[in-house]
Amino acid sequence: MADELNFLEEKTDDFVKVTLSGEVDIYTSQELKENLYRVVETNKKDLIIDCKELNYIDSTGLGIFVGALKKAKQYEKKITITNLKDNIKKLFIITGLDKIFEVE
Amino acid sequence: MEGVTDNIQLILPFKAEYVSVARLAASGIGSRIGFDIEAIEDIKVAISEVCNKLVSIGSSVSDCYKIVYSVSGKCLKVTYLCDDPSIKCVFRNESDALAVHIINALMDEVELCTDKHILSMSKVLERDA
Repeated sequence: MADELNFLEEKTDDFVKVTLSGEVDIYTSQELKENLYRVVETNKKDLIIDCKELNYIDSTGLGIFVGALKKAKQYEKKITITNLKDNIKKLFIITGLDKIFEVE
Repeated sequence: MEGVTDNIQLILPFKAEYVSVARLAASGIGSRIGFDIEAIEDIKVAISEVCNKLVSIGSSVSDCYKIVYSVSGKCLKVTYLCDDPSIKCVFRNESDALAVHIINALMDEVELCTDKHILSMSKVLERDA
């Protein structure tokens, strides 16, 4: 399915890594929001979001990333976003989110 | 052919699950014009931003909205229409600023809130195909 979103969570002692694959749009964004907020609030650790298999995101998904970052900062934790595809990295630059998140 | 405009019309219900159909149509039409992958991704995001807003506000009058993809030479123009006259200026709240910023950044021309349509935006193929 083109508009499917997969969410894989891996825990270590120091951080939690979430691997996203598929597409984040208005249809799949609620699923992302519930999962991402749960990971931040239950683990209270630094979070790495691996986007190597994420093909599409728009402002609905970016807003959820920002919401998750706000929650992480409440616990003095950080969110690092890795392996952004060029089309998504462009959105981060346009919106200035590349300066708010640690992007690798 | 120069001077000829082909119109492809898509009528979608105000439902989130069909926004991807608007993107899929944009991919096919953009590819037909000769846009590269980066430009097609730009168009897909811009189209979704408008669809997202329309789906989120919905309509009590109409079940659906219309997207017209107009192909004219190396230009793709995307126009949003709805039979509900109350749906005209959809991007007017402060919370819409991010979506409007993204649309303006990704498309070459954007026309908001006119008597004729909800929104119209276009992108032109830059290189010689």
